[in-house]
Amino acid sequence: MRLFWELTKISFQRHLTYRAATVAGLVTNFFFGILRAAIFVALYDLQTEVEGITLQGAITYAALGQALIGYLCMFSWFELMNTVYTGDIASDLLKPMNYFSFWMAQDLGRAAVNFLLRGIIVMIGYAFIFDLVWPRGAAQIIAVAVSLVLGWLVSFSWRFLINLTSFWTPNARGILRFFFVLSWFFSGFLMPLRFFPEWVLRISYLMPFPHMFNTVIEIYLGVLVGPEMILALLNQVLWILSLILAGQIVLRLGVRRLVILGG
Amino acid sequence: MAIISVRELSKHFKVSKHNRGTMGAVRNLFSRQHTTVRAVDEISFEIQPGELVGYIGPNGAGKSTTIKMLTGLLVPTSGELSVNGLVPWKERQNYVARVGAVFGQRTTLWWDLPVIESLSLLQHIYKIPPGRFEANLKEFRETLELDPFLNTPVRAISLGQRMRADLCAALLHDPDLLFLDEPTIGLDVVAKERIRGFIQKVNRQRGTTVILTTHDLSDVGKLCQRVMIIDHGKLLYDGNLSALKDRFSGKRELVVEFAEEYANPQIASAELTHQDGSRVTYHFSRDTITASELIGGISAQYRIRDLEVREPEIEETIRRIYEERLLERI
Amino acid sequence: MLEIYRRLIGVQIRGQMQYRFSFFMELAGTALITLLEYASLALVFARFETLKGWSLGQVAFLFGLAELSFGIMDMFFSGFDPSFFGLQVRRGFFDQLLLRPLNITLQVIGSEFTLRRIGKIVVGIGIFIAALNMNPVDWTPLKILLTSLVVVSQVAFFGGLFIIGATITFWTVESIEVVNIFTYGGSYMISHPMHIFPNFLRYFFTFIIPAIFLNYYPALYILDLPDPFDMPAIAPFLAPVAGLWMLTLALAFWRFGIRHYQSTGT
Repeated sequence: MRLFWELTKISFQRHLTYRAATVAGLVTNFFFGILRAAIFVALYDLQTEVEGITLQGAITYAALGQALIGYLCMFSWFELMNTVYTGDIASDLLKPMNYFSFWMAQDLGRAAVNFLLRGIIVMIGYAFIFDLVWPRGAAQIIAVAVSLVLGWLVSFSWRFLINLTSFWTPNARGILRFFFVLSWFFSGFLMPLRFFPEWVLRISYLMPFPHMFNTVIEIYLGVLVGPEMILALLNQVLWILSLILAGQIVLRLGVRRLVILGG
Repeated sequence: MAIISVRELSKHFKVSKHNRGTMGAVRNLFSRQHTTVRAVDEISFEIQPGELVGYIGPNGAGKSTTIKMLTGLLVPTSGELSVNGLVPWKERQNYVARVGAVFGQRTTLWWDLPVIESLSLLQHIYKIPPGRFEANLKEFRETLELDPFLNTPVRAISLGQRMRADLCAALLHDPDLLFLDEPTIGLDVVAKERIRGFIQKVNRQRGTTVILTTHDLSDVGKLCQRVMIIDHGKLLYDGNLSALKDRFSGKRELVVEFAEEYANPQIASAELTHQDGSRVTYHFSRDTITASELIGGISAQYRIRDLEVREPEIEETIRRIYEERLLERI
Repeated sequence: MLEIYRRLIGVQIRGQMQYRFSFFMELAGTALITLLEYASLALVFARFETLKGWSLGQVAFLFGLAELSFGIMDMFFSGFDPSFFGLQVRRGFFDQLLLRPLNITLQVIGSEFTLRRIGKIVVGIGIFIAALNMNPVDWTPLKILLTSLVVVSQVAFFGGLFIIGATITFWTVESIEVVNIFTYGGSYMISHPMHIFPNFLRYFFTFIIPAIFLNYYPALYILDLPDPFDMPAIAPFLAPVAGLWMLTLALAFWRFGIRHYQSTGT
């Protein structure tokens, strides 16, 4: 466990050093957030509430999306894949630490920096421009926090799993990119999923993607409450467990393959 | 007329400092300090056509900065530089058309293409007349033994093969001047020898001027008559390789096999450094005693069965020059 | 010049074709991005009906044109893609190009050709055709000419932005994400009717970076829509001016950047 926190700390410090990148990311987040908010204003036009989400809620959703891109690593994550191709994986697998935890510790450091430097600052910044929705009461705040952590865990265990494809093919980058594109749509990052027709929703919930982002924002916006909310949180937990399990099985198969190939 | 003439050439860089640790990282978010580094500091030299010059120095000494200025990649901070009658960075396209370069760490060839396709693309880039191209390619295919991998993609050939292909690529357009940066890095002994033989041949038969930078001092020992040593941006030595050796070749070594085992067979003017039964090693310096005087002195006291005098290798000499900063003390 | 360009590009394409599976995967990926981004808007139109007065067909017209133009640009100018070019500089490949007796701009353009962008181009064309179905246009020769000029102008405009972004990597790669605001952000913006954006953004993209003339004004003219901002009647035909202006500016900055690079190295 000490090793875990040590790795988290190192990763945290490393990500803190990307000064210019953080500032650049923030500026980009603000810009896109404003465009997306403007699109919602134009879509709502005269309507006040659509599918339980008010215009104020939709604008908050646009802000949250930008705030969480870095934290959830929405665009790409090839780090594990790269170690397979460079061969660094050999020494990582020999470390006295579970391989999944080894990456999770580092991703936690990365997520923490992104949450603090990008997530919080983006939300504060938007609060100056827009009238945002904020969670009400201790219960909702706790639920949002729990869901945020679970959302990161879904995202990480999914990213870990798909990166393992690099054990089998030298073309993993293309496959990963394809999956990331799917995740933008089906996680509700491009539009809140409940704005879509019923059939799109049904397809989405067959995949892990909504549990990374859509669940978090629905709890945040107060669309999901009471037993429904508890169910959504449990659903996130279920996906985390399944993804971790799948990850362990695939990892074992992959390692066996690497050993056979002498890679 | 010198092919390269360099006068009081300098290059300065600004470098930023990084703070360490979590707090340091936070501080870096807000401020950064700069210092000026004199990577190359007022160096002057001339190189005549047909020379094969070794340009050496420890890591970060200013070697690659100099080469970058000579090849036109970098503009000097001050000083004069003329190569082939041109100022490299001012007339880039005209200049590089008469120059070849091989940077051992990376290839100029197209990674996913068969070697031959890269070469024929270079024919068009350098506008090499078809007759010249054919003749050169034919020659290099033989001397560099390119045929076994001419149709293999670059990514799939070995490092040694790649280096041969890169040498061919750098010479197809008959350059007057060839820059070689670490041409033998990562190669095994046989491959190194082959590359060295080729470089020597190009220099002698084609009269191509060659500037060689390398970490592998045996490259220099085997290839270059003239050597330039740079450290901390200053040119510390420019001259004959054997003169350098005479001046700094530290201790010579005499290994004696005695006819019987002596207890502590000390001798004046030489230092006993190792004794293994009847086999004894002495170190001595040519300033204090000659080899024959020493052998005479030993044989007067002890019975010798066999002996051997060892000269220090050039690598050893240059390493000592770096490590003990011998040149800076002059 | 053209002959050597053709050869350089040919080399790139042959190289990519050696990784056929990866190529088709990425082709599908780029097509999917465009498709899903459009779908996320098209699928919610049922709930909202219009985008501040514009029908889905009208928005799709903008979207299709912008996407297909950006796809073409991204294919031909991928050597200047800031994230790619920044790496090339760091890895020393740019130095290798400088060591060849050939125009450096031509070499950078010839150093990469992302054929997979065809995925984006094809989907863009598909969306554009769908737009014409939803919202028939009274075609005149001038409208056809303008449409093709719009594509060329957008390619020049965003190609110029790529060049500017690439040039910035001579100084820093860290903050290169900001350039995305102008490239991807600009393209995203002109995929939507400009009257939906806040005034300060619209002014910025009219008077400082004249992106509004690249897509929105030509669309107003082609779709016979009134101009909500009372610009001069010439406004729809300013797209080539905007494109050329950006490309010229970019090439000047590029030359300045190379001089800087040669005085500092990396």
